[in-house]
Amino acid sequence: MFEVRTWRGRTALQVLATVLVLPFLFPLVVMVKGSLAGQGLRNFTAVLAVPGFARFFVNSVVIAAGVIVLVYVVTTMAAFGFAKLHIRFREIYFWLLLACLTLPEVVLLTPLFVTAVRLGLYDTYWAVILPLAALQVPFAVLLTRNFLSGLPDELFEAARVDGANSMRGFRYLVIPLTRPIAAAVIIFTLIAAWNDYLMPLVFLQTPDMQTITLVPQFFVGEFSNDQTKILASAVITAIPEVVAYLSLQRLFERGLSAGAIK
Amino acid sequence: MRPSSERQPERSDRPEPSEAVVTRTIERRQLHPERAGAAGDDGRIARRRPRRPPGLPWILPALALSVGVIYYGIGYTGYISTLNWDGISPDPPHVGAGNYTRILHDPVFWDAVRHTAEFFVVTFVVQTVLGLVFAVLLHTRLKLAVIYKVIIFMPVVLAPAIMAPVFRHMFAPDGELNSVLRHVGLGALAQPWIGQTSTALPVIMAITVWEWTGVTFVLYYAAMTQLEQSVLEAAKMDGAGNIRTLVSIIWPEMRGTTVALAILGAIGALKTFDVPYLVTIGGPNYATEFLGTYIYRMTIPLDHVGYGAALSIILLVAALIISIAVQLGGRERKARD
Repeated sequence: MFEVRTWRGRTALQVLATVLVLPFLFPLVVMVKGSLAGQGLRNFTAVLAVPGFARFFVNSVVIAAGVIVLVYVVTTMAAFGFAKLHIRFREIYFWLLLACLTLPEVVLLTPLFVTAVRLGLYDTYWAVILPLAALQVPFAVLLTRNFLSGLPDELFEAARVDGANSMRGFRYLVIPLTRPIAAAVIIFTLIAAWNDYLMPLVFLQTPDMQTITLVPQFFVGEFSNDQTKILASAVITAIPEVVAYLSLQRLFERGLSAGAIK
Repeated sequence: MRPSSERQPERSDRPEPSEAVVTRTIERRQLHPERAGAAGDDGRIARRRPRRPPGLPWILPALALSVGVIYYGIGYTGYISTLNWDGISPDPPHVGAGNYTRILHDPVFWDAVRHTAEFFVVTFVVQTVLGLVFAVLLHTRLKLAVIYKVIIFMPVVLAPAIMAPVFRHMFAPDGELNSVLRHVGLGALAQPWIGQTSTALPVIMAITVWEWTGVTFVLYYAAMTQLEQSVLEAAKMDGAGNIRTLVSIIWPEMRGTTVALAILGAIGALKTFDVPYLVTIGGPNYATEFLGTYIYRMTIPLDHVGYGAALSIILLVAALIISIAVQLGGRERKARD
């Protein structure tokens, strides 16, 4: 798109890009270097040896998987209903959902806390999965509905005429056809659930239930103020995300950007 | 009602790919046009378009989940905001709008509002500039472009909560930033970045820019890919240089993306919680207090649950007003275009 033909110009741009990217690299270097300071790799073995460390990962996986499944199922169904089926007052229901788009999760703190305690959900996965899914659904429905609306109605009418009821239309048309948008929905739901801090902080009390975003705090207690161990724990908890991103670069970039435009 | 319901699928075991259904149906329509839409059980010749089957059951789970949890939560928060409640006492006194009038005279609240506004303006401008510059640079056939892209985008993926200890370490008085400054001869600039009120908020802004520039960059990069090549070539033929093309053609074309990013930034600023809570704990001396951290501080550690709920409602109203204003603005612009 932009042409810089001279060798000098190209070098200048390369240098400019390198200089600009350094501040982005710096915290990552600090993290890795700090985690190797002092006892070197022994910091990592010390962190991994802490009993129950694996639990944080298991909990994060369970919560992220729960949120993704819930959001995916509920969203795809709702998008189908909104885009291709008959609903009286459809737009009113849609606006009810859309109004939830900008909701800061901190607003739900007290009511959800009181309710979770009352229903015995406090300190269970559900206390985190349900609000996180509820917060992701409105935008996921908006995206998926727009995507489905772009598909020709004739496709669905033809299937109907051919004897496929809504259930079969959903299974054989909606699910396969929405795959591209579902990938984006799943990625931004995954990151939102995996990276969330406030909900686990408030709703998960026992270390057995806590997620990886609470690991740094846990280790501040565990190793008092040994920064190197805390940074080593940060590196270890970041690794799954780094690996996931590097192996699915395009998907992450598209999914998270789609998720950004609310 | 449904024309299809009379003829239940004859081939329920067929794992049909979607195209098969469509082509077969089109054939059938051509062969038996009278059957295509004529089977309404009211006996009339049905509309050409068969009526769509009911969709309400399909949207109910989503409504139950989102509308249920969220509207219930908002309603409950609204009720609590009229109480003077510590979160435990079984019979809290009603204070009506008392919490709200107290908030209006609360200097920390106004500090938090000011921080949010400043935070939005600074992070939005810096991210836009950086995102645009990176997008342009990576469109110039840079060597090792993938590596630059990965470095810029990686922070988007990493959890702020996990990076928080890294930033506390980095910005500490004996941290890496100061040691770098000393090494390059700028030792005079070394200071306790997160420990003093004058630099704590800029640190929070810098961390946010670090985290979100990746999204800005990817969106501008994608938008630039969709530019009409012919327009760019025409500009070049007319003698426009790279900079001129960028300012006069590309930047105006990016307006949709920029507006979307502004909305995202504004809502994000209102939601800010993780970074100030974990890096500076809202301090020192409330210098990095945001609405999110203030609500949390009031509700959980200080047990002023009613007050926190009133703050929440104000935050919610602010978020709604901003999104409605932007929606209306967008609609007007569309009408004018």
